[in-house]
Amino acid sequence: MTTTHELNAGDRARIKGIICDILEIEPEDMTDTSRFKEDHEADSMGAIEILSQLERAFGTDIDQAELSRMVNLDGVVTVVGEAVAAQSARAN
Amino acid sequence: MPSSLVISAWSAISPYGVGNAPLREGLAEGRDAIAALDHDTYPVPFGQAALVPDFSAAKYVGKKGTRTMDRVTALAVTAVGGLVGAIAGELQARPEQTALVLGTGSGSVQSIMDFTKDSLSGERPYHVEPARFPNTVMNRAAGQSAIWHRIKGPNTTVAGGALTGLLALSYALRLHRGGHCTRVLCGAAEEFSTQRAWLEWHGRAEEERRTPLGEGAAVFLVEPAEDATAAGRTVLARIAGTRFRAYREPDGIRDALTACVRSTLDAAGVAPGSVRFVAPLGGGGKPAAEEEQAVTDALPGADPAWIRLREHLGDTSAAATALQLAAVLAAAGGQGLGPGEAALVTGVEPDGQVGCAVFTGV
Repeated sequence: MTTTHELNAGDRARIKGIICDILEIEPEDMTDTSRFKEDHEADSMGAIEILSQLERAFGTDIDQAELSRMVNLDGVVTVVGEAVAAQSARAN
Repeated sequence: MPSSLVISAWSAISPYGVGNAPLREGLAEGRDAIAALDHDTYPVPFGQAALVPDFSAAKYVGKKGTRTMDRVTALAVTAVGGLVGAIAGELQARPEQTALVLGTGSGSVQSIMDFTKDSLSGERPYHVEPARFPNTVMNRAAGQSAIWHRIKGPNTTVAGGALTGLLALSYALRLHRGGHCTRVLCGAAEEFSTQRAWLEWHGRAEEERRTPLGEGAAVFLVEPAEDATAAGRTVLARIAGTRFRAYREPDGIRDALTACVRSTLDAAGVAPGSVRFVAPLGGGGKPAAEEEQAVTDALPGADPAWIRLREHLGDTSAAATALQLAAVLAAAGGQGLGPGEAALVTGVEPDGQVGCAVFTGV
């Protein structure tokens, strides 16, 4: 069963900052649902970079299979929330 | 046999600023580019350094695609960028015919150490920034410069301490002679960084620690004279030849370099008295004195202008001899060396090599 961990607004802003930095775009150009590849010209290297930067920032592991869901900010926030929840579940 | 290759364009980034004009003006004024270091940004044991003012990848290379580009790579990409305009047509038509030979110290020791530290100190060994990995290999600057400017000929990185710029030039001559390309963009780049400063500090003898570190890059367009003329580019200098020799003890520097310079002049049929400019490396107290004495010994009857770059720009390490050549071209002016004029660039590497390059007017 997948547990979800609600990330707070600060976490969300942090994730957005990391992604905008990698995609070299201004935060106002990215919406919750704008797509990295189609709307912001991300390539596969950019996707890997987003994944690994989030792992670093949140001290967690994200399976590469999750890349298919990490197509926009909402998708990434969900994946990171699950990864953080899984991490704390393991710790408990 | 003297080489038939010439330098028909050059591009420099120095602590005087980005571009050839700041170097030309700084040298003409004899201005010092050495300044106090901001120790918040650079926690290093040196009090002073000669940095390229206000340089960043975002400012000079562009905002897009430069987020993870390190400083030495940005210096190289910018310096090469200063030359590609001169051969835009050739690059468009036959990009594989232009080679790039770039000298470097160890790549960016800052990037290498940062990446390693992330891996060792992070939550997991693989919690590193993958996009910064390319910065950790020493051919990053040469590779990225070629990718950025769509140069598709042979791509070579040369490292040889203080002699790097001269060794790169020598390599470029061989590459061309071997028929691997029509022309070569050849030069060297070095960055200032906290990690380089600490390495230099620990590697130096006490008395050498006073010399501040500098940084910069210089790149030259090397091609046959007839190609330059056909394309309407002014021949600034013919590359008469390069030579290198080894010495065993520091007191052997003088003899080794004198022999080196003499044999280069002889092989190229250049009269010692025709040397109008000399740009020595000037590294360290005793080696610098030996270097100047060796040049004086090798040039009886000459009364050259001495260009002592290190006094103004600090120790630019791997970029030093390339910047010395740039300084010669800056001093020679827009028409380059005149008929019957020659120039000499020399270097002494503390590990036991000396080297020189001789240039003539056409």
